[in-house]
Amino acid sequence: MDPKSKVLIVEDDPQTAADVAAITEGLGCIPAIRTTLADGIAEANGDYAVIVFDRMLPGGDSIDAIAKLRAAGSTALILVLSALGRAVNRVEGLEKGADDYLAKPFEPDELRARLRALLRRATMQVLDNDLMAFGDLEIRLKARTVHIGRAHVAISPREFDLITFMARNAGQVVTRMQLLEQVWNLHFDPGTNVVDVHVGRLRRKLEDVAGRPVIQTARGEGYVFAPLPAAEA
Amino acid sequence: MRAPQARPPQARATFRLAAVVALTVTFLSLLGMGLQYRLVENRLMQAQTALLAADLDGFGALYDQRRIIALRQAIDYRAAAATGDELLLLQDRGGTILAGTHPDWPESLPVLGDGFSADAAQVFDEAGQRWLGVARILPGGFPLLVARSLSAMEATLAALRRAILGLTAGMLAAGGVVGWVAARKIMGRITRINALADRVAAGALDARLPGPRAADEFGLLETHVHAMLDRIEALNRATHRLSDSIAHELRTPLNRMAQKLSRLQGQDDLVTDLREEMRKATRVFDALLDISRAEADQGFGGGLMPVDLSTLCAEMAELYEALAEDKGLTLLPEIAGGQQILGDRTLIGQMLANLLDNSVKYCASGDSIHLVLHPTGSTVKLTIRDTGPGLPEDVKFEAFERFTRAERDRAHPGHGLGLALVRAIATRHGARLSTPDVEKGFELQIDWPKLGL
Repeated sequence: MDPKSKVLIVEDDPQTAADVAAITEGLGCIPAIRTTLADGIAEANGDYAVIVFDRMLPGGDSIDAIAKLRAAGSTALILVLSALGRAVNRVEGLEKGADDYLAKPFEPDELRARLRALLRRATMQVLDNDLMAFGDLEIRLKARTVHIGRAHVAISPREFDLITFMARNAGQVVTRMQLLEQVWNLHFDPGTNVVDVHVGRLRRKLEDVAGRPVIQTARGEGYVFAPLPAAEA
Repeated sequence: MRAPQARPPQARATFRLAAVVALTVTFLSLLGMGLQYRLVENRLMQAQTALLAADLDGFGALYDQRRIIALRQAIDYRAAAATGDELLLLQDRGGTILAGTHPDWPESLPVLGDGFSADAAQVFDEAGQRWLGVARILPGGFPLLVARSLSAMEATLAALRRAILGLTAGMLAAGGVVGWVAARKIMGRITRINALADRVAAGALDARLPGPRAADEFGLLETHVHAMLDRIEALNRATHRLSDSIAHELRTPLNRMAQKLSRLQGQDDLVTDLREEMRKATRVFDALLDISRAEADQGFGGGLMPVDLSTLCAEMAELYEALAEDKGLTLLPEIAGGQQILGDRTLIGQMLANLLDNSVKYCASGDSIHLVLHPTGSTVKLTIRDTGPGLPEDVKFEAFERFTRAERDRAHPGHGLGLALVRAIATRHGARLSTPDVEKGFELQIDWPKLGL
């Protein structure tokens, strides 16, 4: 991700702002911090890849400003990071144009994974490509099929959605919550880790055909799609 | 949420009010005119009787002077005048007519008494007219009939009746029109307030009636309604603000803790435990806020969108199917396609997740879970049924209250808010929730109002 992406953090809690800044620096980005809604909006015109917005800011609720930012021509991707963390709040934020929504208290790994996904989206060329290939593993988006070498991997439609989302973030951690939101379009915490069972099945199917692990578990965080043998990667 | 269908009842009320006004006014006038009619009729009759008495007095005086001869002459004289409003007849003992204006003695007229008094005058029909008269037998067996025609009086009364009839019809029409106009006016003002209530029910809590308020009862009613709405709106806003503030004040420090936890090194298990505890605390807190919010929004159509319940049920069944299978359970969805309701997809998703999660949690290997969705008349019935242990007896009746947990389930993780949230979400959607008695396991039915009904 170079030249270094800039991330704007609009947050009135100094400790949270500092923590988020540390995480963005850890991802190799340059953070800028603003503490009020007005300052944040003024600064948003700068060339930022991602804006991390708190909601209950001095000056108002940031999700009401998203449409205005977009209208002003800002192309930055917006991650709302808010204490308003119930399912209804998240859905409201996403409906008002946020690209991602993370509730406080958040785990640093979760924020890291989401920022990475957004940064990747911000810098990724739009590929008009039907084929995603990782060595001998090929995903055909239109036909919705997965092949490893010549062997077809029989997976369910939902598992196909899972593998394409993971493949778009190949090599990086995707969290359970991200999968639940992106693949199932559910914005609440079901309590039980229902997602694990689905990923487990997909993982077994891929492993049976490939003869090697394709999806790895990142302890406590989520999963990493790493389809290439370690030597090649 | 309910489609405003105020038109028919309002029109009926208007009509009823107009009819009551018109009928009451007409009835009272009719009563008045009826009394007057009686009075006029009596007076006219008295006048006729007085005339008859005068006639009889005259004849009596003649009879006193010269008996039958004089009577005969007088009657002949009167008959020659042929005014038509007198009926005079004098016969001899054998029934031969001595003098008279008519050729025959009227049938059905009995002869009563003698003398020339007008007492017990009779009304009878003869020659197509009605008469008031007396029939007497004079000494020596001479029947005498003296009667006066009532046709002039009856013509007057008929004219009076026609006038009353015309007046009544006119009053009915006028009363109807005036009543209708007045009722329309009143109903119009009530309709205005009803329309406001409809808008508020549909979610526009800030809706108010435009324009100035009249200084009458309706103006006062509007003022009261506005005051109530202002209060509801303020309370509603305060509730939202309060839950937002609580969220902010609770989650911000929790967040600082979470960030500090990540700086701890070498105590991974403890950190994982603490994170899990924090996650549970936020979940309980969110569930409480979700419940109170859903209860506050009960029966309020705002924010609800058409949701394909079939698709959502299928998705949730698919999400939990893998989990159930891993536990050795069978999850059997029987979902009728295309069932649309007005709802909040996220809330219904949470509800289904809670129910499926409960079933998976309490069932043991070999049990089965059915998720059934099918249309019934005006509702869409969602049934979740499992062959697990069912609700324990000690919580059967308060299973849907907050923080209800059975002794049996102390070992299971949970906070006793799952079913409370399920009920709150059902209520929010105007859906009816029931738990039929089953021999074994747990069964819950939810009847959702169909979209467009």
